[in-house]
Amino acid sequence: MNDVRRLKILVADDTDTDRLILESIVRKEGHTVVSACNGLQAIEVYNAERPDIVLLDALMPELDGFGAARKIKELAGDELVPIIFLTSLSDTESLVQCLDAGGDDFLSKPYNRIILQAKIKSFNRMRELHSTMLTQRDQIVQYNNRLLQEQMVAKHVFDNVAHSGCLNANNVRYFLSSLAVFNGDVLVAAMRPSGSMMVLLGDFTGHGLPAAIGAMPLASTFYGMVPKGFSMTDILREINGKLKNILPVGIFCCAVMMDINFRKRKIKIWNGGLPDCFVHRHSDSSITPVKSTHLPLGVLSNRAFKDDCEYIELEKNDRIFVWSDGIHEARNAAGEMFGEARLKQVFANNRNQNRLFDEIIEGVQQFVGGGEKDDDLSLLEIRMDEPERVNAYAKEASDRFGNADIEWSMRFEVKPTSFKVFDPLPMLLNVLMEVPSLRGFSSTLYTILAELYTNALEHGVLKLDSGLKQTPDGFSEYYRLREERINLVGSGYVRINILHKTNENGGLLKVRIEDSGDGFDFANRSHDNLSAFGYSGRGIALVEKLCGGVKYSGRGNIAEVDFSWLKDD
Amino acid sequence: MEHLDYETLNTLKQVMEDDFNLLIETFTQDSTERLKKLQELIQGNDADLIRRAAHSFKGSSSNIGAQQLSALCAALEKKALAGELENLTVDVARIEQEFQLVLTQLDAFH
Amino acid sequence: MAITSTVSPDGNQVTIYIQGRFDFSSHQEFRSAYEKLSHAPTHYRVDLQGTSYLDSSALGMLLLLRDYAGGEQSNIQIVNCAPDVKKILLISNFEQLFDIQ
Repeated sequence: MNDVRRLKILVADDTDTDRLILESIVRKEGHTVVSACNGLQAIEVYNAERPDIVLLDALMPELDGFGAARKIKELAGDELVPIIFLTSLSDTESLVQCLDAGGDDFLSKPYNRIILQAKIKSFNRMRELHSTMLTQRDQIVQYNNRLLQEQMVAKHVFDNVAHSGCLNANNVRYFLSSLAVFNGDVLVAAMRPSGSMMVLLGDFTGHGLPAAIGAMPLASTFYGMVPKGFSMTDILREINGKLKNILPVGIFCCAVMMDINFRKRKIKIWNGGLPDCFVHRHSDSSITPVKSTHLPLGVLSNRAFKDDCEYIELEKNDRIFVWSDGIHEARNAAGEMFGEARLKQVFANNRNQNRLFDEIIEGVQQFVGGGEKDDDLSLLEIRMDEPERVNAYAKEASDRFGNADIEWSMRFEVKPTSFKVFDPLPMLLNVLMEVPSLRGFSSTLYTILAELYTNALEHGVLKLDSGLKQTPDGFSEYYRLREERINLVGSGYVRINILHKTNENGGLLKVRIEDSGDGFDFANRSHDNLSAFGYSGRGIALVEKLCGGVKYSGRGNIAEVDFSWLKDD
Repeated sequence: MEHLDYETLNTLKQVMEDDFNLLIETFTQDSTERLKKLQELIQGNDADLIRRAAHSFKGSSSNIGAQQLSALCAALEKKALAGELENLTVDVARIEQEFQLVLTQLDAFH
Repeated sequence: MAITSTVSPDGNQVTIYIQGRFDFSSHQEFRSAYEKLSHAPTHYRVDLQGTSYLDSSALGMLLLLRDYAGGEQSNIQIVNCAPDVKKILLISNFEQLFDIQ
């Protein structure tokens, strides 16, 4: 009894002599014995004692060994209870009958102690392996349940971030598995303030949670930037930089991003690593591929990232189809891939353009065959249409822009008593942010207004000298003096004029700021230098860069800038 | 072939220790009953019952080392399986004779 | 508070976070964030994640920090800039002086 622990063994035999001998041998091996004299008793004892191994005589009254074996296996369920038949049967048929009834082995009479010992040992090993296997199976089931549960939580979070945006627009159709994010597929769409639609279909390398990780920052950046009017290239760069920073090497995102302008019937498209998109022409059913000309998102640093896009003019009811490689790589039972040739055939066979989308999905599903899940299929169709038929947002924006030439102006004067209690910049910026197309420029506009106003106030009204700012202490002294003087100011003003005009291509914002100060000799002014790094003197240079120039007039107390912007659609 | 296989008997004695006497007693009782049963059964013509009884007797006698007795039982089992039920009284008589001999020798052994 | 800061456990790195507008009004707070440390750090990080706007006085303040941290020998990262904020930094050629992430 070295390596076999004490087992409980059932001995069932109707012949007292044989049972007595077997009981003695088994007991001698150090195991516990429970006994039965017939098949029915064997089942009763099994139920009550749950022995580890069962030794069954084949021929017994009441119920023979075969019947007892069947019942015992049934009672054991998942557990492995080795049954060894005790027999002097020698014909093959009877031995087969033993195995059919669930017997695992035989022990023939006369009993041999060494052989019985070896059998008990080996069956015990098998039993332990089986029980380990059961434990591991249960663990796997448990892990799998936990994984699924975690995926559901992750999906819930993702769905909150990547709500379906404007995918419900009338001219959009898409197919995406409900757990697509775990296949690495992500589809986001949102309306720009200009009324155009931005869409991004991405396919992250890999599967499962690693593939889903990048989808969160992608979606939140997309939905954060598109409604603010950022350009497609800004958004692509931002997403690329984020993914490059957070994703491990080897995980990246093949993507197509589009900006669809319904007013001008134009598409701006960037393809980084996804299969060719198809532009399908309504007039002649021809297709033009839009090839990938870039590396996927998250591969290159933003310095090396290329954001040049293709521009395509579309007619009404022209369509663009975008897909991940799930369609091209869908395999049938023979292991063949669907491929681009079959995809083109679907287009060639098409008779009703409104059915194209369904025919692609059906084509792939029929090819793959029944039973297979289409987890990896992601397909997007966008049809060119009039803005008012796309969605309410596009209609509203179109109405707004249809009247291209809008002009307004405002004048604002800050008087002596206001300087110390009122900062006009947030208010001015708020007014400008009412213009949707200007929202993408909020930071830039702030900087322009801030520099001009600060100059007018600090030099014109408060007569502070920037020369102070040459040392750290001087810097502090400057702002201490500013504080002192702003509290004492008894005269002076800053007048702000803002004029805004829109045109077909964008607009112009004119800002004119006049102060009550002495001005300066602007004809001979030295140009601020952005390559010198003093603590001050860079404000106006910054404005010049942002606006292309600053025009002074009067005695140098009036500064004017033109900030012109183009709609990038 | 010896009537008794003493190697088997010695092993049994070792394994059973104090229970060896009980084993011999049990065998004697067991076998006496089986023999009586056989004698009754051969009066009738249920081949399967005869086969089963011979089979069990064959098993227990082989376990105790009574190899000739076991062989005689095996022969009877075979006949019953083949449905040859004539002159079985002769077979059973030989079995009884051999059983008496085994009992005498077992007595001498312990 | 517009300016907050954290110091790494070994005291070698300070991270300064700026919320909202970054301009002269936070000048004192910004200076305190690095001048009042008991142990001079070797690494500085300026986190502009929450910064929506900045002007030229903020640029001046970054240069003050740079000189305080050792000028050419300084080790300053500016991280998490929004695209527009980054544009201002780049127009001012600040990538020559700072590690802008």
